[in-house]
Amino acid sequence: MLQFVFIIPLIAGIAVFFLPVKTGRVVLLSTAVIHAFFTTMEWFKLTGPLQTRYFSNSPEGMLLLAILSFLFIFISLYTVFYMSEVEMSKEPTFNGCMLLFLSAMSMVTIADHIIMFWVAVEATTLMSAPLIFIRRSKESLEATWKYVLICSVGIALALLGCFFVIFSMEISDIHVRISFTSLYAIAPQLNPLWLKAGFIFIVIGYGTKVGLAPMHTWLPDAHSESPTPASALLSGALLNCAFLGVYRCHQLMFAAGLGEYSSNVLIAFGLASMLVSAVFILNQKDYKRMLAYSSIENMGIITIGIGIGGLAAFGAMLHIIHHSLIKSSLFLSAGNMLLGYGTKLIDKTGGVLRLFPKTGITFFAGFVGISGFPPFGLFISELLIILGAIKAGRYVTVSIFIFSLILIFAGAAKLVMQMIFKDNENDEILVPDKWPRALPPIILLLTSLVLTIWLPDSIYQTIQNVISSIGGPVNG
Amino acid sequence: MHISNIFLAMILLSVLLSLKSNRLAALVKLVAFQGIVVSAVPLVLNTAHGLSFSLIMFFLILVLVKGLLIPALMFIAVNKVVTSREIEPIIGYHASLFAGLIMIVLSVYITNSLHSINYPIYIANHPHLADFAANHKLLLVTGITTMGSGLILLMTRRKAITQVIGYLMMENGIYLIGTALAKVVHAQYVVEFAVLLDLLVAVLVMGIVLNNINHTFDDVDTALLGQLKD
Repeated sequence: MLQFVFIIPLIAGIAVFFLPVKTGRVVLLSTAVIHAFFTTMEWFKLTGPLQTRYFSNSPEGMLLLAILSFLFIFISLYTVFYMSEVEMSKEPTFNGCMLLFLSAMSMVTIADHIIMFWVAVEATTLMSAPLIFIRRSKESLEATWKYVLICSVGIALALLGCFFVIFSMEISDIHVRISFTSLYAIAPQLNPLWLKAGFIFIVIGYGTKVGLAPMHTWLPDAHSESPTPASALLSGALLNCAFLGVYRCHQLMFAAGLGEYSSNVLIAFGLASMLVSAVFILNQKDYKRMLAYSSIENMGIITIGIGIGGLAAFGAMLHIIHHSLIKSSLFLSAGNMLLGYGTKLIDKTGGVLRLFPKTGITFFAGFVGISGFPPFGLFISELLIILGAIKAGRYVTVSIFIFSLILIFAGAAKLVMQMIFKDNENDEILVPDKWPRALPPIILLLTSLVLTIWLPDSIYQTIQNVISSIGGPVNG
Repeated sequence: MHISNIFLAMILLSVLLSLKSNRLAALVKLVAFQGIVVSAVPLVLNTAHGLSFSLIMFFLILVLVKGLLIPALMFIAVNKVVTSREIEPIIGYHASLFAGLIMIVLSVYITNSLHSINYPIYIANHPHLADFAANHKLLLVTGITTMGSGLILLMTRRKAITQVIGYLMMENGIYLIGTALAKVVHAQYVVEFAVLLDLLVAVLVMGIVLNNINHTFDDVDTALLGQLKD
């Protein structure tokens, strides 16, 4: 059954709150595996009825669910080892909220009803808030307050947008179920004025959660202040889930024949995000904040790719997969460094490669990947987006896109080189590098590598199905 | 005059009062009152079509959550705070009241222009709804004003509690706009419950964070939250 992917983590999550710490860790890991099992079942369509009143398995949802499930296995593995080395007084709360967060995100990926989708997205905000402020430091409280308030207000605007979309149906005197799949079928009959208004509100609303500029202000704070596993999950999985809302609405606009309008809106937001992150990454003093700004950049790239459509949309989908893998790997490596150095300041973290060889290598490799160099997949996806943009004749977009990429690479490279090769004043190591914590980031990077060289046919076919609704296949 | 207009007038009054009020306890009472009236609006609008059992049940649950549970959670937070007044808002009380009045004018303008574009088609399609559509107009005005004033409260006040109240007002406004525009949603109780549950959990989470902020900083002034910058 499709709903199992969110019901099981929900029950497990609530149970973990009341279980002893050690049992809680076992439940966390086993739920991750069970979740992966059900996701595989859904991916290969081995289960019974696939469409219910509120849920369905759309190709884009399945793609994100697969990414989420895969990431969660390794992040929960990391969490277990991480927890045994840091002392966290409220560990059951943390593990429980991780599972509830997984449940909410899984619900986002399979939700079909417009308002149910909204409910699930809001639930992700609420379930992840405790993860961020679990340490109760002044900074983490500030980050949580910004996160909860800005995202809740943003998502409330998305609800308004949903009402507009529903009204565009009612005013044309059509009555179908208010789910995305039924709306696609009748999209041409919807009232274009209200649909456009709804789209704008939905992009602003869910875009707040995606971290699109200028609504991104919560993102660097939340991603940098939360504990490592939460940062990895926020950056690797949550942003994608929020993006699904923007994407589904874009699909609807496309079906209604307003694709050009929504494409332009998406490209504008995407370019703004890239430029903002290019400016703020230059003088960053904190390496987790640097990674957070890089997430804003990458979500901008994905938005632009989807906006351009065709070849670029294929690139954007690849970008989603590889960005999730590489960025969570980077956040996990950053977490290892944070444990070792006890500080997030770039100035005080020199000689990573010498002091922490394993983490140093994964961090450096991750940086190479995130900057879009071969052999990692972001090289291909960014190339496809650029080619797609040129083919579509969007030369201004391409120039700003490449300019921002160069600026971001230059800014981040300076910081990363300093961290990796510059010598530190004192070689004091708080927690030494250990294999169990170094392994999950390595596996995530290797997965990205493998998917670059060999993309399984079922993933390829899924991506084709996803983008067929926004401007067709990529061949040609 | 339709009875719903009295309810809408009461909502507008509570919006204006909350823009002028500086005592946190009074604000919580206002938002509780507003929550109850807002929950009653669908009930009142539907009197022509007769009241169903499910509609009344749903009204009772709405009142329980918006008028009782959420304000109770807010009162717990207010009681723990040392200074129970809003001090030095970013925009003064008279100015915010004035902004609220402008918001009413603005929403009348927005509603009128929307009506002139869209409603002729709508009423042509549903002639029996002409009366309902006229009521809608005021409903939409009230909804937009409530939402806008909530945003004003959210952005111009420093106390975290007032910001939560601004958020609740905004949510009330969106609920009213939803009542005016998307009738289908209100007929689907599962969805409505889910939205309501989200709101309740949101206030719960905000309350927990609020308590922690109060504990760590000895106040809930968001001006104290300014360490994370670029």
